[in-house]
Amino acid sequence: MIELRGVEKSFQNQRVLNDITLQIKTGSIYGLLGSNGAGKTTLLKIMAGILKQEEGSVQMKEAPVYENNEVKNKMVFIPDRLYFFSHYTIEQMAKFYQNIYSGWDQSRFEELKDIFGLDIKKKVSQFSKGMQRQVAFWLALSAMPDIMILDEPFDGLDPVVRKKVKNLLIRDVAERQMTIVISSHNLREVEDICDYVGILHNGDILLEKDLDDLKADIHKVQAAFRNHVPAKLKQELTLLHEEKRGSVRLWIVRGSEEVITEKVEAYSPVVFDLLPLTLEEIFIYEMGGVGYNVENILV
Amino acid sequence: MFDLDLRSRKPIYEQLVEKFKELIIKEILQADEKLPSVRTLAKQMTINPNTIQKAYRELETQGYIYSVKGKGSFVQVSDDAVNQEELMKIKEKLTADISEALYLGVTRKEIEQLIKKAEESIGGQKTND
Repeated sequence: MIELRGVEKSFQNQRVLNDITLQIKTGSIYGLLGSNGAGKTTLLKIMAGILKQEEGSVQMKEAPVYENNEVKNKMVFIPDRLYFFSHYTIEQMAKFYQNIYSGWDQSRFEELKDIFGLDIKKKVSQFSKGMQRQVAFWLALSAMPDIMILDEPFDGLDPVVRKKVKNLLIRDVAERQMTIVISSHNLREVEDICDYVGILHNGDILLEKDLDDLKADIHKVQAAFRNHVPAKLKQELTLLHEEKRGSVRLWIVRGSEEVITEKVEAYSPVVFDLLPLTLEEIFIYEMGGVGYNVENILV
Repeated sequence: MFDLDLRSRKPIYEQLVEKFKELIIKEILQADEKLPSVRTLAKQMTINPNTIQKAYRELETQGYIYSVKGKGSFVQVSDDAVNQEELMKIKEKLTADISEALYLGVTRKEIEQLIKKAEESIGGQKTND
């Protein structure tokens, strides 16, 4: 389990994280979402023990992370800008990882060679961006960590490789309860594999929830009424957003499917459609709620 | 085993629950048959094991499967509760469809004829068996 309590961080008087408290369960895949500049990378680096928070605590299995070799031995961080030693081949990088991570599994490394199909005698710097990312995953998976922290991990991977990498990650979660923290703007990518998401905005955690619960609690409603829209109904529903499309109303409503259906149907709508939201839509409407609007950008 | 629509708006766990229900109701998965383990299914389908776990738990509370500690999950012998729920769903759907048909001007007689036709097709199937 990863536990953050009251974490605060500033860079040169600029506050980046305010009082972040969150828990990530063992064996969970946690998606950290957020607007640009929200503090995602900083938060991940603090979790990985690369940066030190000014206030609060970061604990993994009840031990602090920062400068704790024992914890870090079981954790791999893949940053969004990869770093490999210049002139090192994949084989040499593997040797280096083997020296650092006590859990390194050489047979796993060999096995993954067939899956990734890259030449281990070649210098990492000679590979393309996407291939370098594959090398990073290859090394990380061979180190058999308990925790993987991934910053924009799927950037630059083609769809085939992405699928392969996701499957490998899921395998480790299923087989040995590995915990994964993923940050991404690409919400489609996260939606497939995460079970828990947290949304970060301006250094605050806006919301943190089980992904399915999150989806079960917010719906898109399209409704039309014979005469005019009953004003009372609008009061009864927790509306987050309203749009008029001809005579059809589009509402984003908080609440469960059953409750919303019952309330709307009481006013006998002529048209009534209820859809779950995609994670992307949830993100947009939640952000809209704190004044980070799409409309503000698309003037 | 089966495919899920990852592009669909429906949460993956709901899709899983529905798929399994369908397989159980259509008796493709038979009573006391073992369901694939959470791990196997997760690896096969690249789905978060926690999501599958949740779907199995839901199926268990709804009475479609039972689990034996250390052995896995198995299909529950279908009982009335399972059928009742399906019946209710079908009746709801029928009511909605019939009201739409009536609204569009289909007569009662025509609907009755449709029922007759459906009955005959089921009867026909039975004799073919």
